[in-house]
Order: sequence, then structure tokens, then C-alpha cells
Amino acid sequence: MGDITLTIDGIETRVSEGMTVLEATQQAGIYIPTLCYHPDLAPYGACRLCIVEIEKMRGLPTACTTPATNGMVVQTNTPQIQEFRRGILELLLSEHPHPCLTCWRRDKCGPFDICLRNVDVTQRCVLCPNNGNCELQEVVDYVGVETVDLPFTSRGLPIDRENPFFERDYNLCILCGRCVRVCQEVRGVGAIAFTSRGSETLPGTAFGRLLRDSDCKYCGACVDVCPTGALVERNRKWEGAPDSKVATTCPYCGVGCQLELGLKDGRIMEVTPLRENDVNRGQACVKGRFGIPEFVHHTDRLTTPLVKKDGAFQEATWDEALELVASKLSGFKKEEVAVMSSAKCTNEDNYVVQKFTRTAFGHNNVDHCARL
Amino acid sequence: MTFNEFRQQAIAEWKTLQESDKPRILVGMATCGRAAGAGGIINIIKEELARRQIDATVIEVGCFGFCYAEPLVDIIKPGKPRICYGNVTPEIAPQLIEDYLVNDNPRPDLAMGTLGEETIEGIPKLIDLPILKPQVRISLRNCGHIDPDNIKQYIANDGYSGLEKALSMTSKEVVDEIMKSGLKGRGGAGASTGFKWERLLEAPGDEKYLICNADEGDPGAFMDRSLLESDPHAVLEGILIGAYATGAKTGFIYCRAEYPLAIHRLETAMKQMEECGLLGDNILGTDFSFHLEIKEGAGAFVCGEETALMMSIEGKRGMPRPRPPFPAQSGLWGKPSNVNNVETWANVSAILQRNAEWYAQYGTETSKGTKTFALAGKVVNTGLIEVPLGITLGDIIYGIGGGIPDNKRFKAVLTGGPSGGCLPASSLDIPVDYESLTKAGTIMGSGGMVVADEDTCMVDMARFFLTFTQDESCGKCIPCRIGTRQMLDILERISRGKGQPSDIDLLDKLSQIIKSTALCGLGQTAPNPVLTTIRYFREEYEDHINKKRCEAGVCRTLVKAPCQNACPAGIDVPRYIRALSEGKPEVATAVIRERVPFPAVLGYVCVHFCETKCRRAQLDDAVAIRQLKRYAADRDDGAWKKNIKKAPPTGKKVAVVGSGPAGLTAAYYLAKQGHAATVFEAAPKPGGLLRYGIPEYRLPNEIVDKEISDIEEVGVEIKTSSPVESLKTVFSQGYDAIFLATGASSSRKMGIPNEDAQGVMHALNFLEKINAGEKVDIGKRVAVIGGGNAAIDAARVALRLEAEEVNIIYRRSRDELPALADEIEEAEQEGIKLNVLATPSRVITENGRMTGLECIRMELGSPDASGRRRPIPIEGSEFIVDVDNVIIAVGQEVNRSTLPTELEFTSFGTLTVDQETLQTNINGVFAGGDVVSGPADVISAITTGREAACSIDRFLGGDGDIDEVLAPPEGVPEPFNVEQAEGEQHRIPMKLLGFEKRHKCFALVELGYENREAVEEADRCLRCDLEEVD
Repeated sequence: MGDITLTIDGIETRVSEGMTVLEATQQAGIYIPTLCYHPDLAPYGACRLCIVEIEKMRGLPTACTTPATNGMVVQTNTPQIQEFRRGILELLLSEHPHPCLTCWRRDKCGPFDICLRNVDVTQRCVLCPNNGNCELQEVVDYVGVETVDLPFTSRGLPIDRENPFFERDYNLCILCGRCVRVCQEVRGVGAIAFTSRGSETLPGTAFGRLLRDSDCKYCGACVDVCPTGALVERNRKWEGAPDSKVATTCPYCGVGCQLELGLKDGRIMEVTPLRENDVNRGQACVKGRFGIPEFVHHTDRLTTPLVKKDGAFQEATWDEALELVASKLSGFKKEEVAVMSSAKCTNEDNYVVQKFTRTAFGHNNVDHCARL
Repeated sequence: MTFNEFRQQAIAEWKTLQESDKPRILVGMATCGRAAGAGGIINIIKEELARRQIDATVIEVGCFGFCYAEPLVDIIKPGKPRICYGNVTPEIAPQLIEDYLVNDNPRPDLAMGTLGEETIEGIPKLIDLPILKPQVRISLRNCGHIDPDNIKQYIANDGYSGLEKALSMTSKEVVDEIMKSGLKGRGGAGASTGFKWERLLEAPGDEKYLICNADEGDPGAFMDRSLLESDPHAVLEGILIGAYATGAKTGFIYCRAEYPLAIHRLETAMKQMEECGLLGDNILGTDFSFHLEIKEGAGAFVCGEETALMMSIEGKRGMPRPRPPFPAQSGLWGKPSNVNNVETWANVSAILQRNAEWYAQYGTETSKGTKTFALAGKVVNTGLIEVPLGITLGDIIYGIGGGIPDNKRFKAVLTGGPSGGCLPASSLDIPVDYESLTKAGTIMGSGGMVVADEDTCMVDMARFFLTFTQDESCGKCIPCRIGTRQMLDILERISRGKGQPSDIDLLDKLSQIIKSTALCGLGQTAPNPVLTTIRYFREEYEDHINKKRCEAGVCRTLVKAPCQNACPAGIDVPRYIRALSEGKPEVATAVIRERVPFPAVLGYVCVHFCETKCRRAQLDDAVAIRQLKRYAADRDDGAWKKNIKKAPPTGKKVAVVGSGPAGLTAAYYLAKQGHAATVFEAAPKPGGLLRYGIPEYRLPNEIVDKEISDIEEVGVEIKTSSPVESLKTVFSQGYDAIFLATGASSSRKMGIPNEDAQGVMHALNFLEKINAGEKVDIGKRVAVIGGGNAAIDAARVALRLEAEEVNIIYRRSRDELPALADEIEEAEQEGIKLNVLATPSRVITENGRMTGLECIRMELGSPDASGRRRPIPIEGSEFIVDVDNVIIAVGQEVNRSTLPTELEFTSFGTLTVDQETLQTNINGVFAGGDVVSGPADVISAITTGREAACSIDRFLGGDGDIDEVLAPPEGVPEPFNVEQAEGEQHRIPMKLLGFEKRHKCFALVELGYENREAVEEADRCLRCDLEEVD
């Protein structure tokens, strides 16, 4: 794959062959608004926001699906394109609550202000758990939609709160298809697909069954790619943005998935899988994705070793505990000892366990719960 | 057996069949034929043959394309040409066998035509019929001729010779041949087939796919189905040639599951091909191998889009994806692929069987070859046709299609189904090729061609197609998914009368967004029906939005009943008909009087638009609304007078110029609004054309007098013999407003030599003199030129004078005669001759006096902007009509010399007025009636009189509300037995004066209904106004 050169908005850019026009544009540092595009998913071309003008090509191709070729001349933001983008967003907003997005006081509105007059209570962005973390908000701000001439129609669907991990509010869905595609393309599960046709199209399970009766593994990948508030994690629903973030390795098993913990007031409020690594590339399983904050902050969780004294467990220091174990183990013959480890430990821990067993006891009687 | 031996065998069998001494009977058994009952017919024929012990061969063939005449049965007797019989019923079928096979009577009365060299007396050759003459059948070459389930019959008719020829060429040579033929994809988009094949041939890799798109889904399109059902091998041979040319090893036929017969025929055909070594490995002993599979589609319209189609074959949800990459780069399962439509493949086999030059001789410079169309809708000959590209729309609709049924007016033709657009009559002369149609705003599409007549509402048409596209949208991209729904919402509110004036612009804006930004062809073309209807029928949208009126009477929320909707004055027809059926003529008159001050005049002479829209006409005949109105008005007891609205005097004065129906109506309502209305009339008596234009035998003067006296009763002053010289004088007499309703009383000239000779008269002058009681000298032989009501009136009047032989000369055909059908019929009964398709070319004179009339024969050419076929003189067909007098009745125009010069005129010579207010360019001067519209009819004149009264009242400070309630409130109508009412029950004929009593006398011809007749006729009304509207 060699390099190719293309001209984007008058700037000559060298990119590697095989890139799409959108990727080339991003590399050139030029922003094109997108909603259905996601770097982990195959080009889709549904939201039509990334339309560009390319010399010698008919119509307005979408940057996300068009392969970049040598010598291409691309215009990303002509007045005509801007007008069409506004038109597309107007159409989209006719199905998504939006008065806050087009409110003239928008700039003056602080995050905790209570709007008294401009916007219907039920249609306010502040009532969306994804407020402030919404790609639709960003795109509308960038493209600039002042009014929506078309009547707003809510789909009037009940919110699906059937599972403990996330809620599905398809009244906010913009049908970018990311959830469907991540489930199919990345997770290989295909628990959800598009159902119905035309304006009734929505993501859903086969025959409209409950998610728990589908193949859903609750990995949360759909929640992570959702650009709006349609799919929202239940536990962090009204928590707002985290104070700080910490990268860590998932403690649940030995795969070593890289996660980012969002912290608020010293507590873990959310966990998101990290994309920039070769282990999990932005994915996690239900345990890592949803199981950490509750587990970490559970009141029953042990935070120090316990030693049984006078018939009851009592808190002890690590030294005390290790001393006790060492002295007890010394009382057995080597072949009387077997060592059991846990899949929840990291690879390093497990390595040390087998090393310890082999060097301290000289045999291979060591095993691991993941084999069960 | 080698293939060659197999072919020889097939040819021999075919020859034996053709030369067989047994009669052959071919029955069209495609889905269209079966739906019309061919399945039963074929059984009846077999039983009849068995019963009579006739040894005949019965063959099931496909579709010949004459949908309107299904079921079709063709009979070939040895040594005789093939005779095609249409509309064969279970009764006719055995009769045909008896008459033709047994008694050798070919029944010319039932035959549509013959096929073959020889002819049979009394039966035209099919190929000479207008429906077939312009057709060139290439892809449909075998349809209706061979048994589609018999590969040998296909082979015997050059079948698979194209494949053999292709196999003797290199792949590149085959591609070049297709390129040279100029063939474009027949599925809709019209991309060059050769170009697409070249891309696939050049694409790297061994694994390539060919796909036949048989997912025909346009409403009204059935070309592919008929072709697959009638000649599957023509398509399959094309696919094989394509596979060889492009290097594809595997192919799919994507056919919608709703086409079970087509799928069955394909399966049979493919099995036969395998048996003959035409499908599978090493085809015909060569290295070329190809495997083909049928994939049934579930019927999603979007799956006709090639990328969605490929997704569907892959087993995924059929959703399109953007191109590039094109299928030739990355198609089915990511491999190079090519999709062509059924018809394209059938053309491919024909091109290889002959050659590219032969194919390219048909069509235009840029659109080569032929195209099939499914001609449907409001056209006489519906069916499947194949025509060379470049033929005009008019030639298809009027030539092949035979025009519009029931003498209705052509309104629009839709090509390309929901992706196409509606073209108006003015587009009928555009050639059918890819470029011209695109320029006109529509597309060629796959070949659906739906004709709409005057009873089609274009807003509703657009709404229908938007309903379809928004329903069939896959939901992937925003512009199509939400945009089409928003457009549909707007169209629905317009058709409910809730539209906003800005809606048309909004529709246009949304259309542009969707057209430019939707992902696939479905979305990009979805706005076309809306855009073209706005472009060509904008006034219909404006009527729906501004006037809450649907002229075609389709949009149900806006239409109380079709008759009431058709009445320009909006008379509540169903209600007064109901009053008559209850035996209350006085209530009926009051209902009519709520909208017009001339119930009796209208009862005698109205052109009754209401009757042309009456739903009863679809069962038997329209209700005799005009005659019922006359019945009611004849029994007017004046009870309505106690309810009339009469405002106190306003002190304002209005001058009305002209005492025709428009002027008097305006004066009547203005007087009731409290203004002092004075009518100035130049003639000695009031009434205008009512008195001077319509003969006594149709409208007696006493009727006119009676209604004018009712008008005078509300305070209208009529000054006769008072021509108005100038507007200034009128204003100086203290009038606050003037209404000009001077009519169009000047006769139009023909523009032929010697038109002014002595003995040549103009209809209006002639009628005027007669009605004024003057004596007119007229000879024994009279010719009347023209076909309107004035022409018929003049002819009948002439006959009542000295004339003994009256000829009406009209340039178009009888079907186009604009006069009322009843009038024409009565005129003919009185002995008047119609000489249609002729026009005068010169008046022959001697010493300034006419001695005869030279005429020329006409023929109908392509349709003009009015949707009627244009008459064209046939050179050298001049003939002389020996007549003493000629009465010219070719139309009237406004006499400008009698109108003040400061007024503005249109290019048609009529007065320019504001559409809303009817005000002329001079403040306070309004105009209406024929002086504005050009010659029209009484009811339209009355309607503008009403409109003028509203507008002038507002101008004078009133509210313009002239509506009044004259009839007592209507109670809950009696329960109505629809089933009983819908039983056949023809119109009660109007009793007419006997011929002997009409002779040389002006006695009233129509005698009117009696009480019992009126009630019975009124009972025929279906009461459409009581229908529930959802």
C-alpha cells in the first residue's frame, strides 16, 4: 500500500492508500460532521452528514464511504453542502427532542440553569442522561441549525428498562445503526438488527422479544457507540461527567482488558473499555463493563486480610496473614499441598502462583478456576 | 446427442407442428391471462374438442401483450393464417370451435386480427392495427408465440444461436458487440450495458458473479413478469452470454416471490438447459462453465436497487450501500459482480442472435433499440408493448393505447413508477428516450407507464406515490426515511384542505434535500412525482391550499359529493336530489337558489359538469341532474323568498354593464347586500346570450323573463337599450363601482378566402337575429362549420327555417365534438348530418355571392397541448360541398371596440383582471364572465357573477358574505339501502317533442319529467354526500 496525494479544501494531503476520504480528511486535520461513522465499524453512509464535493464525481458522495484515490480534489464545506447538512439535521431533529438545541438563549444557558419559559419541559436536553456527552449536540452546534420548520413528532415509545445494565429509549434514537453494527461486526453476536421499514424502522431484537431472550451478552458495546441518549447505562444515569479518569486493567479475568475508570468524589462512577490497546480494542464483557463499580464499592468487600481468632474472623495486616499461612503450610509435606488460583487474578499474579508452587513445593499441583 | 442434433430435432418438430394438418389452438396462459380466466377457457376448449372428437393441438403460450383483451385464444387452421380472438368468455370459446373449426366461419365479428402472410376476409391483419403497427418486438419476440415450457420451441426459433455465436468469439469481442449495440440497462438507470460488462471483465480475480434483477416492484409495471412467464429462455440465454463475456462463474436470478409462475417457468427452463448441456460445467462441450441459482425475494421494493439486492442474496437485510465501490469492484460477497435487469438480458440474446448494427438501427442517436412498457391506467388498450426508443408519448398513448376511455380528457402520464414523474398533455410530443424524459423531470424507469385522466387528482397521485416510497424506504438514510415521511405529511394535509401557502416551497426544499443527499436511487428519485406535479400542475396544489378545492373530486375531505364538487357554483346537488325523491320540489328549488339565481335557466340549458362526474355513471347512467333541476324550477312556488337575506341600504351604487348571466347574478347579490345595483344593457331586452344566443326550442324567453323578474324584485334596476360609452360617464353619475360583464359576442373568423362573401353568416349573429324575431333569408342547403353548442344550435335553427339539408363540418373526429352529447344526438335525429374530419378551405363565389364550399379532409395526428389529437389536412383531399349558405361557428371572442380603451387586455383578447378580486387595471372597475374567461358556459358565468358580487361588496366596505340559507334544515335522511340502489336502473328518458311537431317550429323539444318520473329518477342518486369520510 503506497501513499497517495489528494487535495482537500485546497490543502494537498498525503495519506496511505486504502483510506477513505473521511479518514484522509481527519488526517489533514479537517473536521467533517458525522453521526453514523465510527472508527471501529465498516463504512456505512447512512447519516449523509459527511457529504462532500469531489471533482469528476456525480452528486455529493459521502466521505466515509468513498475510497480516497490519487489526485482527488475534495471540497468539504461549500455553501451548498452546508445548506444540505442543515436540511438533513432539520429532518433528523423533527424526530428528536430539540428545542434546547435551537434555542436562541442556548449560549447563555448554564448547565444547572432552570429554563422557565423557552422550552417544553419534556423536550429539554437537561432531561437526557446523555446531556453534555451527546454527539448530536456537537454536530448541531457545528453545523448550526437555527430553526426547524418541520413539526416535531415523538415516537411515543415506552422506555425499555427490562435489564439491569442499560436502558433503551428509542424516542431518542437517530438510527445511525452503530449499535446494530457493533453487535454484528465487532462482537459477532447479532442480538439486534433493524426491524420494520421506512419511518417505522428501529433497532430491535428478532420478533421484538426481550433482550434477555435474545443473544445479547450485555457487553455494553452498543451503549458505548451510541451517539445520543438512546442507550444509557443505568447505574451512572444521573451522575454527570466524572471528575477524573484512571486507566486500569480489568480485575475480572486474565485477559487484561484495558479499562478507564471514571471517578467522581473518590468513587468509580463508570467504566469504559479503552480503544488504544491491542488487548481489547475498546471492548469489554458484561463483568468488566458493568460489574466493577458495585463490586469495588460493595460494603461486603474485604479490604484487609482476615484471621480467625477466638472463633471469629478479625482484621489483620498482610504480614500477619502471610506469616500465618507460611507457618501453617510448613506443617505439611510438600506433596500434601495443592494450589488453586483464580481467573480474576492478573496473568502476573498467576505466573507468580505457579512459580511459587513449583519452587516452594517442587511439584505441578497448581490449577486455576477458569478450567472448571 | 450433440446440441446440433438436438437443434435439428427441435427445428423438425417445430416444422411438423407448423405444417401439421391438425388445427392448433394457442391460449395465453401467463398470469395476466389466468387472472382474466384463461385457465377456465382452456379447459372448456379441451372439453369441447373432446366432445366433438376434434383432433386439435392446444398449446399454452405466454402473454401477447393485449391485456385489455384477455383471455386471448388464437386458432390456426391448416393452411390458414392465425386468427386472434380477444375477450373470450366461457360462452364464446365453444362457439368459436363450432363456428370456425366445424363450420369454417372465422367469426370476423369476434376476431381481433390475423397473423401471417395471408388474410381472411373481414378480419384485419394484426400488424396493421394501430396497437401493433408502431411496435418492434425484440425482447418480446417469442412472447405469445411459443410454449415457454418447451426449450425446443425456443431453440427452433433461433434460440441459443446467440450463445453459440458468443462462444465462437472471445469475451472481449462479445463485450464489444454489446457496446456497439448501444444497449442501456433497461431496469431504470440506463447505464451502458457494454461499459458495465467491460468493468467486470477487467476486474481481477476468478470469482465473479452475474445477477439477473427480476425484482420488478413498481406499481403498475409487469414487463419482467410477462417476459419471464412467456419466454424464459430469451433471458437465460442472455445471462449465459453475459457470463461468458465477463468471466463470471456463478449467477443468481433475484425474482420476487410474488411471481410464482415466473419462478416455475424459470425452474423448468433451467432444468431443460442442464439436460441439454446449456448450464453447468463445460457448456456445449467448451471450457465455459456457469452455474445459476434462483433467489426468491420477499417483495421489498428497495431490493430492486442493486446493492440492496446483493445484500439480500447474501442473506442480510436488503439495505443499499453507497457506491463507489461499484459492484464491478466489490459486489456480492465483496467479489466483482454485475446486475442487469430481465429485459436487458432478453435484448442481449437478441443482439447476439442477430448483430449489433441490426439492433442499433432502432431508437435514437443516444438511446438505441427498443423498450417495453406496461401501459396501464386510464387508457383504452392496456397492455404490454415494445416500441423503438424515440417514439413520442402521444403516439404510445393515442396510437397504441387508443386514447382515453369514456371520452375523458387526458391529464397526465406517469413513467418510471414511484421514481418517475407525471407529464402533462403539453409533453405528449416529447420522444421517449433517456435524455428527453430526464429533461422533462421524469425517468425512463423499468417501463411502467400509467395514464391518468381528468378524474385523477395530481396532489393525490403524488400522495399515493409518496405513501409507497416512504413505506418502502429501507430506513437507512435520514433524507429518505424522514424526508419522505415529512413530505407525505405535508401532502396529506394539503389533500385534507389544511395546507399552508408555504407548503409548496417546503415540499420543493425537502425534495431538493432528498434528491441530492439520499443514499440510493429509491430516495434520490422519490421526490420526482411531487416535483413534476408541482412543476406541471401547480394550480391544482394552489386550489387545494387556497380554495380548499379538489377539481378532480378525489380528495375526500374536500369533496362532499363528486357532482357538487364539479359544479362551478357548488350547488348542493345531492341534497336537492334527495328533496325531489321525497317529493318536495319547492325545497329542491330553495337548495339550488342558495347558490344561483337562475335555477330554471340552468335546468334547461346547463352543461351539467355534475353529470359527467356522477358515480352512478359507473354502474349504468349518470343521474339526470339537469332535467331534475328543471323539474324543480318549473315547480318553484317562491317559498324561498321569505328566507332571503336583504341587507339595509348602504348608500353605495354599483353599475353593472351587460345583462347576461354574469351581470345579472352580480347585480342580484349586490342588491341583496344593500347596494343600489343598476344594470346597463345595450339590447332592447335583458338576458344577454340567454335571450339572444340560445334558441327558443331549448330555452323559452318566458323562462328567462321569469327569473329576471325575480332578480328585479330584490331591487335591481335594469336599463335596456342603454349602451355604456365610457367609464368616466358612469363614475360621474355617482356610481362607486362598475362591473363589466359584456360577454364575448364577436364571432371568430376562419381565415379562409372569400369568408365575407354574401351568404356566409356567423352563428351568433344568426341566432341573435332569429331570437330577436327578425327574418333571415336562408337557402335549402346549409353548412355549419364547428362542433360546439353554438354550431349545433345554428344547425337546428336553420333546419327549423327554410333549410332542408344541414351539414355540420367539424375538423376533428366525432369523439372530440365539444357540444353536449344530448344535443348532438337530437340534432342527428332531426336529420342533421355530421361531416367530421373535414374543414373548409375556401368559399366558392360567383359575383360576390357564395355558391359552394370547398373543404379538405383531415386526419388525426399526434395530440396537442389540450390532450386531443391534432387534426392535419390530407393533401389533395379537397372536395366541394354544394350549399347555399354557410354558418360559421368556430368560436367567439371579445369585441374590443365596444370596451373603453384604457382597460388592459390579455394576449387572448380578454380583459385582464386580478384572479382574486376580479378588479381590472382601473380601481373600482371589475370584470367577469366571458369578457374575462373567453366564451364559456352559463354556470361559469353565474359563478363569476357571485365572485364579483363578493369582491365588489368587500370593495364597498361589506364583508363579502353572500351565502344564505333558503331551504329548511334537513332532518336525518331516511336509511338508504345501498345494495338495492346499486342494482341496474337506467336513467329515465326525457320525453321529447315528436319530430313532426318540431318541423319548422320553435316549440320546446324537451317536455320535462312528470312527478312520478322525477321521484324515480331522483331515487337513482347514490347519495355520495352521506358517505363516511375517514
